Amino acid sequence: MMNDAGLFALVSLLLPALSFLVLAVVYPFRRLGRPAAWFSIACAAGSLAAAALAWDAHADGDVSRLLWAWLPTGGEVLATVGVLADAQSTVMLTLVALVAFLVQLYSIGYLSDESPPALGRYYVYQSLFAFSMMGLVLAPNFLQLFICWELVGLCSYLLIGFWYQRPSAARAAVKAFWITKAGDVGLLIGIVLLWRHTGTFDFFEMRGLAESGAIPLAGLSLITFFIYLGAVGKSAQFPLHIWLPDAMEGPTPVSALIHAATMVTAGVYMLVRTEWLFALTPDVLLIVAFVGAFTALLAAVLACVQDDIKRVLAYSTVSQLGYMMTAIGAGYAAAGFLHLLTHGVFKALLFLGAGALIHAVHSNDLKDMGGLARRMPQTAIVFVIGTLSLAGIPFFAGFLSKEGILGATLAGGLMAPFAVLMLVAFLTAFYMFRVVFLALFASRAMHASPLQPADASPIHHDAVEATHGSPVHDPPATMVLPLWILAIGSVGIGLYFTFVHPEEEFVNPGWLMPAAVVTAVAGIALAWMAYQKRSIDAAGLANAFAPIRTAALRRFWLDDLFEGIYNLVFLGFSKLVGWIDRYLVDGVLNALSAWTLTAGDDVRTIQSGKAQDYVYGVAVGLLVLLLWARWVLA
Amino acid sequence: MGLNAYLTLAAVVFCIGLFGVMSRRNTIGILLGIELMLNAVNINLVAFSRFVGNVDGMIFTVFTICITVSEAALGLAIVILLFRVRRTVTADHLDLLKG
Amino acid sequence: MNAETIAFAALALVLVGSALMVVLSTNLFHAVLWLALALTGTAGIFLLLEAEFLAAVQLLLYAGGIITIVVFAIVVTERLVGESITQTNRRIVGGGLVALALVGIIANAIADSPLPTTRPPLTSDLTRAVGETVLTRYALPFELLALLMVAALLGAIYFARPDD
Repeated sequence: MMNDAGLFALVSLLLPALSFLVLAVVYPFRRLGRPAAWFSIACAAGSLAAAALAWDAHADGDVSRLLWAWLPTGGEVLATVGVLADAQSTVMLTLVALVAFLVQLYSIGYLSDESPPALGRYYVYQSLFAFSMMGLVLAPNFLQLFICWELVGLCSYLLIGFWYQRPSAARAAVKAFWITKAGDVGLLIGIVLLWRHTGTFDFFEMRGLAESGAIPLAGLSLITFFIYLGAVGKSAQFPLHIWLPDAMEGPTPVSALIHAATMVTAGVYMLVRTEWLFALTPDVLLIVAFVGAFTALLAAVLACVQDDIKRVLAYSTVSQLGYMMTAIGAGYAAAGFLHLLTHGVFKALLFLGAGALIHAVHSNDLKDMGGLARRMPQTAIVFVIGTLSLAGIPFFAGFLSKEGILGATLAGGLMAPFAVLMLVAFLTAFYMFRVVFLALFASRAMHASPLQPADASPIHHDAVEATHGSPVHDPPATMVLPLWILAIGSVGIGLYFTFVHPEEEFVNPGWLMPAAVVTAVAGIALAWMAYQKRSIDAAGLANAFAPIRTAALRRFWLDDLFEGIYNLVFLGFSKLVGWIDRYLVDGVLNALSAWTLTAGDDVRTIQSGKAQDYVYGVAVGLLVLLLWARWVLA
Repeated sequence: MGLNAYLTLAAVVFCIGLFGVMSRRNTIGILLGIELMLNAVNINLVAFSRFVGNVDGMIFTVFTICITVSEAALGLAIVILLFRVRRTVTADHLDLLKG
Repeated sequence: MNAETIAFAALALVLVGSALMVVLSTNLFHAVLWLALALTGTAGIFLLLEAEFLAAVQLLLYAGGIITIVVFAIVVTERLVGESITQTNRRIVGGGLVALALVGIIANAIADSPLPTTRPPLTSDLTRAVGETVLTRYALPFELLALLMVAALLGAIYFARPDD
């Protein structure tokens, strides 16, 4: 089915590819820095426009499939590449294109201190990421999905390690790469097994098979579980979530794009995309739901104790991903997908806002911030809008989607995850407003540390300015503009959903909405009392939860556990392999080469130069030949 | 006497000649070995020719004998030349084929 | 045991014995004489095969010509060396084993082959047949052979000429 609507999606996909190719190949252009950046941004803008048109064309349920044969095998086509544009993928495409465009625009200001070659390199990665992510979103089959899946993983690695001179960034990049790779192995196994099971990679054909009941159920659970493993790695689900907080070593716009709005949601998106497949294996869905809820709780608790603003947001992302997974596990993928979209908008907003704060004070640490609202009013406003969205306050983007997830969990009959998610909703409001109050409203003196007396370090927040010489103020227009667009988007989506309810597959009980709002408000109130009003002693609060707090500060020892496993198993194994290589393999090779040398030395003597010796050789050869001809050939 | 008797005799003579070529230290001795080998070939040719009833083998024997004579004349000339240049007729000392 | 068998056995004995002496004798001059005996024995074999012409050629060219040339060469080199050339062997065991093994294999192959045991009776004069064939079918090779011998003669002269 070749039509204009599909072409829009294709154009949207290929513009970033063009940008990537031009910047990657035309070396001098890339080294110019800013022109290269603007070229990439222009391509992203075109891509966004095309994506919006594609969304518009497919919103009413049309489906476009543009396929090209790839891997032809003996007359048949083993795999195709192309574009599968439908309502789901085009709206996701638009989100990706939007955030990618805004982030690229924002980065111009954020990375203004970088050298031109570094800036050019950044935009090469950004373009490649945009292309890969769109390819993933539009993938018509598992194979293309997997290829793009790996490509976004590569971009993530490259961008986390953008400041590769910093050892912590390089380490974080490797950690992110390997841990997501651990999940990807599962995904690859799952895809191959699924191909053996159904004989196709194509979503469209496979869905037809699934809906007509032609896919045998025996063994399918294992396959979907393997595929889910890929999502666990990519979407930072327990226990593979540990890479995401470390990934914050990358530039903040990268965190906004890759580690909040788009790439980490790829796992969720894949499950949404293949919900008809997972619907056949309810046992795996149950795992998805419980792991999701547990991840949400774990990450929310962790977020409460972080002092690094980006880490708070990172754990918040993990927590929200757990939310989406729970909804999918409950069997209502649409609810999870809706939250994915709204989350993409407001979490990008939060990250970019945090980036503006970081850009201003040159520090990630909440202790270095405080009272910034007066100095950076615009940033403060948009950041609060993002926080309200995340907390699930009515009229903001996250409200309805969050309620949808809670309702979906309830409708799916998962009472324990529902209770956990309600607790997480409370914690989410609490930790996000903790950030808001500490960074934007409270004076620095008030929150030096929850464990220290409030008056221990009475430093006026003007000291912030003294530390780096320039007054703290709102960032330049290229950075503020994306913030406002996303903020307006957050409010706009919220208002839209207030008046136009999406068609739900289930009916929420009447008490759910008030309960959710009350929970969120309670969280905000607690944060307000603890960190702004200080009517509750933050230190006392911390002491009340001392065991959890201690555990959370150690990240529940999960990183230690992984490191222990890594040290014990992998390093031990590599030491063993190293020993084998050094002494066994090399030993054999050295012995062989020494033997070859001496043998060559010995054999050399038969080249005596005497005709008689050669005749002797000929005679022996003739003898061997005759023997062979007589007793071997016969 | 059948053909195989003649062929076996020729094989024995041939291998004796080969042994001489391989083991003689003197260049002229090597040439004698070669003569023996060629002689054995002649026996074969004649025997086959006679038992098959085809005269071609005998004609080839004539050719072989003529060529052998040429070869002997040339070979001995070479030996003499070698002797003049290298002052030896011992094959051990003639290792110019070494690369 | 007819006369032919006895003659063959005797000739074979002479041939093999003299051939062995050719390669084993320590005196080069004796070796040449043993070769002459071996060539004569071969001529006898040819006679047994009723190839009188070839036997004559063998005696004249080989036993006559070659022996003369070799003796001549020995005399020349001995005169140049100024001492009698002795003849020793090396690699007797290795060479002997290889040669023996070769004989064994060839003899074994011959024994396994279905070879004719009787020869067809002669219908015409063999010498005449050889002569006619050489001058008709093999005329060109025959002439080329003459050319070869001239070249060999010239070459031998060129090699053996005294230094300028």
